[in-house]
Amino acid sequence: MILRRAVLRGLLHRPLLLLFAVLGVALGVGVVVAIDLANASAERAFRLSARALSGEATHRIVGGPDGVDESLYVRLRLQEGIRASAPVIEGVAAAARAPGLTLRILGVDPFAEGPFRTYVPTAGGEGNIAQLLTEPGAALVLQETAARLGVRIGDTAALEVGGRLRDVRIVGTLDAGDEIAARALENLIVVDLSTAQELLGMSGRLSRIDLIVPEGRAGEEMLGRIALILSPEAALTLADPRGDVLAHMTRAFQLNLTALSLLALVVGMFLIYNTLSFSVLQRRELLGSLRTLGVTRREIFALVLGEALLIGAAGTALGLLVGMALGSGLIHLVSRTIHDLYFVLTVRTFAVEPWSLVKGIALGIGASLAAAFVPAREAAMSSPRTVLTRSAAEGRRHALLPLTAGFGAALLLAGGALLLLSGRSIPVAFGALFAQIAGYALIVPAAAVLLLRLIQPVSGALFGLLGRMAPRSIVASLSRTGVATAALVVAVSAVIGVGIMIGSFRATLISWLESYLRADLYVAVAGDSRERAPLDPLVLERLSALPGVELVTRARHLTLESEEGPTDLFVADMPPEGFAGYTFTHGDADAIRRRIIETPAVIVSEPFAWHRRLAPGDTVRLRTDLGERDFTVAGVFTDFSSDRGRVVMSGPVYESFWRDRQVDALGIYLDPARDADAAAEEARRLTGDVQQLDIYSNRGLREASMATFERTFAITAVLRTLAIVIAFVGILNALLAMQAERGRELAVLRANGLTPRQLWGLVMGETGLIGVLSGLLAVPLGVLQALVLIHIINRRSFGWTLQTAFDPALIAQAVGLAVIAALLAGIYPAWRMARTSPAQALREE
Amino acid sequence: MRRTHAPVLFLILIALGAAAVLWWSRPPVPAPEPERLTVAETLGGEALEGYARAVELRIFRFPADHGPHPDFRTEWWYFTGNLHDEDGRHFGYQLTFFRVALSPEMPERTSVWASRQVFMAHFALTDTAGERFHHFERFSRAALGLAGAETTPFRVWLEDWSADSEPGEGFPWRLQARENGVEIDLHLESAKPVVLQGEAGLSRKSDEIGNASYYYSMTRLPTHGTVRVGEGEFVVTGDSWLDREWSTSALGEGDVGWDWFSLQLSDRREVMFYRIRRETGEASPWSAGTLVAPDGSARTLGVDEVRIEELDRWTSPRSGVVYPARWRLSIPVEEIDLLIDPRLADQELDTTVRYWEGAVRAQGISRGEPVTGLGYVELTGYSEGKF
Repeated sequence: MILRRAVLRGLLHRPLLLLFAVLGVALGVGVVVAIDLANASAERAFRLSARALSGEATHRIVGGPDGVDESLYVRLRLQEGIRASAPVIEGVAAAARAPGLTLRILGVDPFAEGPFRTYVPTAGGEGNIAQLLTEPGAALVLQETAARLGVRIGDTAALEVGGRLRDVRIVGTLDAGDEIAARALENLIVVDLSTAQELLGMSGRLSRIDLIVPEGRAGEEMLGRIALILSPEAALTLADPRGDVLAHMTRAFQLNLTALSLLALVVGMFLIYNTLSFSVLQRRELLGSLRTLGVTRREIFALVLGEALLIGAAGTALGLLVGMALGSGLIHLVSRTIHDLYFVLTVRTFAVEPWSLVKGIALGIGASLAAAFVPAREAAMSSPRTVLTRSAAEGRRHALLPLTAGFGAALLLAGGALLLLSGRSIPVAFGALFAQIAGYALIVPAAAVLLLRLIQPVSGALFGLLGRMAPRSIVASLSRTGVATAALVVAVSAVIGVGIMIGSFRATLISWLESYLRADLYVAVAGDSRERAPLDPLVLERLSALPGVELVTRARHLTLESEEGPTDLFVADMPPEGFAGYTFTHGDADAIRRRIIETPAVIVSEPFAWHRRLAPGDTVRLRTDLGERDFTVAGVFTDFSSDRGRVVMSGPVYESFWRDRQVDALGIYLDPARDADAAAEEARRLTGDVQQLDIYSNRGLREASMATFERTFAITAVLRTLAIVIAFVGILNALLAMQAERGRELAVLRANGLTPRQLWGLVMGETGLIGVLSGLLAVPLGVLQALVLIHIINRRSFGWTLQTAFDPALIAQAVGLAVIAALLAGIYPAWRMARTSPAQALREE
Repeated sequence: MRRTHAPVLFLILIALGAAAVLWWSRPPVPAPEPERLTVAETLGGEALEGYARAVELRIFRFPADHGPHPDFRTEWWYFTGNLHDEDGRHFGYQLTFFRVALSPEMPERTSVWASRQVFMAHFALTDTAGERFHHFERFSRAALGLAGAETTPFRVWLEDWSADSEPGEGFPWRLQARENGVEIDLHLESAKPVVLQGEAGLSRKSDEIGNASYYYSMTRLPTHGTVRVGEGEFVVTGDSWLDREWSTSALGEGDVGWDWFSLQLSDRREVMFYRIRRETGEASPWSAGTLVAPDGSARTLGVDEVRIEELDRWTSPRSGVVYPARWRLSIPVEEIDLLIDPRLADQELDTTVRYWEGAVRAQGISRGEPVTGLGYVELTGYSEGKF
């Protein structure tokens, strides 16, 4: 009973500190939960949509660049009697009258769909089978989608498909059956195969053939029979009904977000540690009395842990709310990034995944208890007598300093070793990074003492007595200042580290774009940049004839489906002008160029080489129209256009292995005298009646690329901002604790003639000093984090090499942040102490 | 064909509509009856204009008329038969191809998948000794050779189920169908000439002009071939029956379904009779039939000439639908009096449109002599009738 009361009293004694501790946990847990929920929602969305699109299919037959010949399907049905097969055509369309609404066209044969996809057109759906089959452009969508398109059943909707405006008529609605299925179908427009072929210009072709293959010997026999009749460009692959391939593509991205969110929780842990350490120190007399009264160590230990549990529980509860609120905001950033970088995805529904909340609770409570362990042990280990003296505590801290620092250094080194030895593992890299952060944090108190001793004479010379007092009192009250400083350092270093990483990425990207983009104009069919529609030959003809055009290069973007997932293939003319844009990790560019034009060789981007573990001289296997072929890797080039990487092939090589002769992008080189913007304008005018095109000037494309970059890093920037907020709370918490503890000391000073003004000076001096100290100590750790993030985490996650760009302003900013927060934290205690009469303060003590 | 076309038409339209319902739905989930009807109504509802109608008498020409008549909305090739292996083991089979036009015409399309003609097919095998009734259903559009009907040589097929003329013109025909371990491969000869039903092949189904079909039958098609069920393979012989009918609209107001009988008697006569059931429970005056003599000559049977008595009922354990199950059919002027028994009680096709179609055997008196018979009975509209 008395223990329980002691717990409550101890916690309630300093409401502000308690509040900050709870807030720290809440923010930490909140950020982790928010990221987890956002990730989970995005993943759920794409898994649902993968499932909706694959249905019950277990396998699929995929083809070359232009899909599968439809006669293969007929053969499966007629000759092989394989009835668990369904022809599918997929494509993408933009709603012409609803900007930003991208629809996935799903062309199917209703009669073959039976066992595959389970959404059912509504009964009484106005006879839509007959209409679907016989009426060109007849389509089905969800009721909600119709509303977003601004049409009703029976109305016509205009779609932009492959750069051309096409009308579809909504003849009925899809019935999703339930809420979850509805989410997966909300961007789907279902049409008959005939309409799909006509809309997408795929006469005679299918995107794929879905199959349901039974398990066991019957299934193997069936796969064997199918394999025998496949044409060389076709392949049998596993369907991806659970979206595993998609999930894998975004895994590194999501892992990075999770790790950054955990950093926020680490800072939150420091807040708890700090608060509890303080409360233990504060109540050293009470604890001593309790011990003399016969309370056991175990009970004291439990008491402090109990407090941590209360703070942790309150913070976690609050954190879950924060997380849900934050998560529903972040989901847009996460899904937009996935949409920009990986695949067409719209997440409109934020689902609160119970598992995310469970993880949040476990982390919040676990982190609180872990943070409380040291203070609790400290409280429990003390004998009744020493608990009563504060100097004993301080003394032991001081004595422990070298030991702690030594342990920290060991941890730092171990983390470093782990980083170097952990091969390609991303989670281990993050674990090592956290170990380094913890190790560094342990060194901080010792480093602080060292620095303060160095500062002392300087500040003494500058500010006299008070100037000498401030550093000395910080050193004297190391039990609090040490932790406060460490918390600050960790928080500020995260701000620095993530900041440098984003800055380096941006700088790298800018310089890469400058060297990579060589043409003056870039032309592609308008619409989603991942669903490249072919350019009308008329476009090429007209643009080649544009005045002032010196050279037109043609390019084709393809995605080759295979068992290991999709491979992006970029085919382009390789004139020396354009080829100069590639920077190779090693090898002579001219020799490489000759090889990929004259021999069946390709170049691969750094991420591709990383993921597939390729080096120049290795081969990469691609499924061509002639069957699978090995292509020699002639070089590895720097590339930031895709994190799953791509293979680049010259036009001549492509044309000897593939029949496809379509072009989906052009690079136009102009006479230097010609103004690019004017030429772009003229190009638009010349092609407007043929196809809707995106025509970018070199600068325009660079800007558009940078805009995408900024969008994709928006979430990282948000996380960094959250780290700043938590750091700020941490600083306030630590310094409030320290100053609150010093009430008596200050009162004594006041009684001895320290004026309120001098007291202000002393308090602000101390907190400001801690701010400066933390800011400075945060710099090396921040840089270390940045280096690990840039050269190890990014490399392992995405395979690319970034240049490191240190922005001094960024570092100054972070140190400034620490100082300002520290000074702000000093205001309240200084104001309070200055206002209180010394006598009262002493009496209160 | 036999039964009244009105309901038949209805049946098919329902089927296609329900196929629509089924596309993405999994087979085990039967759509509730009212929905089937709704979809059927919407599918079949308005658009009769533009199609050819069975209004006038026409000259039937063979083998041309074995082929499709795509200007009419619906058409079918309906094969049924009773077969025995050398040990006397009995099998009944049904292989039916339905053609349905989804619209009278279609704009020019570039995709070859665009088609206004759709096929549905039913394949059923009654394994009397094994006490199993197997049945399957398929749909396909008439495109890319997935399904279709052709005149010269005669051929109708839906994927790998087919009926075709082996030499190219005329008989013998070959029927092939297999699914899920059940397979028939049969050769059909023709023992009797074509029988034109109704008035020289124009079979009216209700008072309204145009609610009629063109309808002919081939009532005795000696058959031999093989039947496979699971591991068992049986060499069989027997007789088949073909019903051919095409129409655009046949359903009479107030008709709910029909009971159709086809019997091949041991005295080499054949009986076909359909009774159209009205909502009121009585038989429509348009119910009719045909009696075919051993020499192939045929005479029409009016509704008043045939008496049918239901002797038993059977309740489907799947659908709960109650069907008649045993009959006494008599044609007093022809001195025919028969007791008709299903070979198996459960020959219900739990397909998109639910109906009972099964092999039967008959025994009784014909012209004072004992006679036996084999045949098929079809019962439709019992399921819908519940609602």
